[in-house]
Amino acid sequence: MADEDKDQDMIAGLTADEHRALHDGLSRLPDTMPPRIVWERIQEQAEAEGLLKSAPRHHWYLGSGIAAALVVAAIVLLPANQPAEQLPTAMTVPDSMPTNETSVNALQALMVESRQLEENLRALPAEPRVTRAGTAATISELQDRIAAIDYQLSRTDGSLTPEQEQILWRERVRMMRSLVGLRYAQSQRVAF
Amino acid sequence: MSKFADISIDHAIIRRAAKGDGKAHEIIYRAFATPVYTLCLRFTRVPAHAEDLVQETFIEVMRSIGRFRGDASIGTWIRRVAVSKALMFLRSAWTSRSQALGEDWDDFHADDGSFSRPSEHTDAAMDLDSALNALPDVARTVVWLHDVEGFTHKEIADFMGRTESFSKSQLSRAYQRLRPMLASDQTEQAAALRSFS
Repeated sequence: MADEDKDQDMIAGLTADEHRALHDGLSRLPDTMPPRIVWERIQEQAEAEGLLKSAPRHHWYLGSGIAAALVVAAIVLLPANQPAEQLPTAMTVPDSMPTNETSVNALQALMVESRQLEENLRALPAEPRVTRAGTAATISELQDRIAAIDYQLSRTDGSLTPEQEQILWRERVRMMRSLVGLRYAQSQRVAF
Repeated sequence: MSKFADISIDHAIIRRAAKGDGKAHEIIYRAFATPVYTLCLRFTRVPAHAEDLVQETFIEVMRSIGRFRGDASIGTWIRRVAVSKALMFLRSAWTSRSQALGEDWDDFHADDGSFSRPSEHTDAAMDLDSALNALPDVARTVVWLHDVEGFTHKEIADFMGRTESFSKSQLSRAYQRLRPMLASDQTEQAAALRSFS
């Protein structure tokens, strides 16, 4: 391969520095993740062709949607007079969420943090050198839960109250933190 | 530089996948979806086409993993499937517009005169990514196969059903187009662009 590269440099008229610069530039080009729907389509085709065994198909928007549904249900079922400090961190909500500027700012802060976490996730190496089944399954589960929350947040029928929306965004940030942490740890294992 | 070779999958997962285990296939998909999609997107430049090719690639993996013997790494095997699918698509695209493989340089010159005679404005705005995307499909594909995936000219020729000379020629012409992006400073870039135009 090295000899061939040398020959090609001659043919192409690239100097060794230029060839190195090309390789460096190409290696820095960003990777791109396919949309989530692609896996859904693959599963549908695979099942139609009988390529997969009979394990029930895992619809992220149904299965892990339970997670998001539980979050929403928790909002409804929380006792109105329960002190916030007794609740799990992710579920800590005031008895009545203010709809004033503070609430809007809090929601925006969650959105900004969520977006920042997405960027942090994209900045991590795309693929681990070694994929462990347990880690992959956990990452898959987190991604499913995030997708389920996104599904809830994407509803435009006005069924979500501002309070529910904020809880969902808070849950999304929590999941994203876990996902980024897991992926970061994964990348560190790769590095060492 | 290829991302495929850096990813390994437990043999137990591969064995489960060969038996049709959906979760095992999902693990394989999640491990390789990004490099496969990146490759397909580089080849086609159209996300919808790249998504279709990712689907075709992993369906083929599901159909054929039972015959995967492990002589090469699974990443190498999946990459070969993806390249075959992507080239098959490009070949059909080339065929559909009545163009022979490798003859789209004429289109390139006609369609992108600004790149043939770069101005100060394009000099400032162009980067390697956009320069690569501005190459004709076949030239960009050869550059990617050779300089990112590490295939030899013989392998590229086999993939494309052409000769090694064809692959070398495509690479050489592509290098000449990319060369202005490779100069180490603005002065050298400007000189390279002037000599190129």
